[in-house]
Amino acid sequence: MKPVERERLDADVLIVGAGPAGLACALRLAQLIETNRDAAAAAGLSAENIYVLEKAREVGAHQLSGAILDPRALRELLPEFEQTAVAGVSDTPVSEDAVYFLTERRAWKFPVTPPPLRNHGHYVVSLNRLAKWLAERVEQAGINLFTQFAGAELIWNHTGIAGVLTEDKGLDKNGRPKPNYTPGYELRARVTVLAEGPRGSLTKTLVQRYGLDGVNPQVYGLGIKELWEVPAGRIRPGFVAHTMGWPLGTRLYGGGWIYGLQQNRVSLGLVVALEYPDPQFDPHAAFQKFKTHPFVRRLLEGGRLVRYGAKTLPYGGWYSMPRPYVDGGLIIGDSASLLNAQRLKGIHIGMKSGMLAAETIFEALCAGDTSAKALSVFQKKIEQSWIREELWPVRNFHQAFHGGLWSGLLHSALQMLTGGRGLRDPWRTRPGHEAYHRLDGQRSPTARFKGDGRLTFDRLTDVYHSGTRHEEDQPCHLIVADLNLCGTRCTIEYGNPCEYFCPAAVYEMTKERGERRLKINASNCVHCKTCDIMDPYEIITWVPPEGGGGPNYEGM
Amino acid sequence: MKIAVCVKQVPAKDAPLHIAPDGTWIRETDISFEMNEPDSYALEEALRLKEKHGGEVVAVSLGPERAKQTLKEALAKGADRGLHIADEEFYRLDPLTAARALARALEPERCDLVLTGLQSEDHGFGQTGVLLAELLGLPHATIIMSIEVQNETLRLKRELEAGWFQWLELPLPAVLTIQSGINKVRYATLKGIMAAKKKEIRTLLRTELLPSFELTQKLERIYVPQKTKKTEFLQGPPKEVAAKLLEKLKHEARVLGSS
Repeated sequence: MKPVERERLDADVLIVGAGPAGLACALRLAQLIETNRDAAAAAGLSAENIYVLEKAREVGAHQLSGAILDPRALRELLPEFEQTAVAGVSDTPVSEDAVYFLTERRAWKFPVTPPPLRNHGHYVVSLNRLAKWLAERVEQAGINLFTQFAGAELIWNHTGIAGVLTEDKGLDKNGRPKPNYTPGYELRARVTVLAEGPRGSLTKTLVQRYGLDGVNPQVYGLGIKELWEVPAGRIRPGFVAHTMGWPLGTRLYGGGWIYGLQQNRVSLGLVVALEYPDPQFDPHAAFQKFKTHPFVRRLLEGGRLVRYGAKTLPYGGWYSMPRPYVDGGLIIGDSASLLNAQRLKGIHIGMKSGMLAAETIFEALCAGDTSAKALSVFQKKIEQSWIREELWPVRNFHQAFHGGLWSGLLHSALQMLTGGRGLRDPWRTRPGHEAYHRLDGQRSPTARFKGDGRLTFDRLTDVYHSGTRHEEDQPCHLIVADLNLCGTRCTIEYGNPCEYFCPAAVYEMTKERGERRLKINASNCVHCKTCDIMDPYEIITWVPPEGGGGPNYEGM
Repeated sequence: MKIAVCVKQVPAKDAPLHIAPDGTWIRETDISFEMNEPDSYALEEALRLKEKHGGEVVAVSLGPERAKQTLKEALAKGADRGLHIADEEFYRLDPLTAARALARALEPERCDLVLTGLQSEDHGFGQTGVLLAELLGLPHATIIMSIEVQNETLRLKRELEAGWFQWLELPLPAVLTIQSGINKVRYATLKGIMAAKKKEIRTLLRTELLPSFELTQKLERIYVPQKTKKTEFLQGPPKEVAAKLLEKLKHEARVLGSS
């Protein structure tokens, strides 16, 4: 086969991922170029030479969060937004906070909302809309934003990275070119910024290749969300509730959320830490069960499902932060573990990290030095900013819940009294898939959750409501290194957890001539990355499919 | 060769649709929009003809402000300029009125060829292209499977029923409605997307092109059809199932006489 001829483009800065972090980075760069014209001109920098890649069909289509926005970073980036554009960003300001502990039939309201969960002055937002709103500003600033293009591979450079290859388009399912085959581009940049969100596929290879892992490996949660429209009068806009306990109990880490939106809409969901012991645990079914609690059922009954989605989030915090710089490259946002698990918030930290990255890059490009040493300023900037002020005191927060909810609350109280140190510092963690208990053939034949079709749904009905679509005739983007292992060793040892953890019913064990085989329904994939994280043998690799494929989280 | 392509913006295929309170259109919140797929084949065909014979491709869209996004997509794939006929109440127009507005916008362009998709994926009238030809006073052909241009003549292949095709010749200028699947649609390129930013999209107001009109057909109501089909599984030993089936065929489906 002759080598693929790729068209090459050269950029000053290439940002992979148009989420809040990547877009904030782009916008801050444009602002710096605008306000330091002479320096920018001397270094030959222009907004047109900043590229942002986004794998979704349009900006925002893969953005999923609860979401409550702490406007701190946005206020720094666009100080005027609260006067002029609140409506574009926010659905409603938070008006009321509550935390509940759920048992199967009852809901106990905490008499006082714990300070980290107080949201006065914050906004309930659609992350999809926020990303679109930011993207408009990025494009107005003259930056080139390319949707439907993914970063497929890194271009390596002795000790760092020099850009990315975008994905090949127009290959059939066997990898052969179709008539509209278009090879991926070779996009080279002086600085490449990875803003891929949690478990970025490029970030993963970069962290592995250069051993950038922090004190702890990254640990994740899986958030499953539905957007509902309910009969008038059920919930006030701006009502924010978080729940603990049922259906996860006190052993599993996670909880639910219920946010009241404008026009009788409700955002609700359940987050589960991806470090549970039972390989046959089904996060999607747990979320469906959550909706049958009298407290939730009362709210939803007679309403209808508008959208569905699922996405992972990084829980590891400060100690899971990879070294965020290499020669010619930076890692920002969720890809760099920049989320506050205690406050359940990451958008503002992600955006701030993008802004700090932009400042680092601007200085580096003006000085003509984009080496790891020059870019290491980014880490210093993080350490001197409010990101550290916010994340350092909760550096052991998530780890504290290792022994369950009650001991976790005790530990975290102790940590609050000792500036985050608690009894163990640093509190070590293991990758989530190592938490599985082996079944050793004791697989319980669990019936799959079906749903009643009104309040609760099976996974395929939910996937339909995620708007997910892929080109059918393309190579499978979920690469399983050893398919023989699935029907033999994995079935016996772990009972094929992929059939349970995937919230989009991508993985299915079938019987063919008496043999158990894995069938991958890649077209269902909502790009949450759970499989890449939770398969017990670490043999599933998520790579980006043809650009434009994936869910459509309009309004989520 | 100057080619105009009519591209419509329609709700994305993945969008869970809900009917608007007035019952004549869908609710547009929470859904996204994309280029009508049949029109994307027409656009591809136009781009190929331009590549072969030279000339210009003008993309035309009638719709609200958001329709510009579809024009930008056409420009990114290689169309030379865009023409946006702005109308926020586009969904009230019947095919004849829509064709009239398109004809008014296209008359001064004096195109050699006008291409449209076979039909739209939302209203699905399948009439706009043909009516447009009539209003422009041009010959037309529908369900086109291939186009060859020789001198001033088009040699066309049309799809008929039951696997039959028709070959015919048409003089230029003409209007063609393109069958889906006639080609493999290209991807927008990075350079194309960058170049599209510098291309012109001219906006014409439908209210100025066509200040008054009388609808020849009015949409009364859009509704989700009632499910009438029912599937039932009969279970049990074969003998029992056969007896049950016989009962059902006689008394429920009534396809067997109950002697």
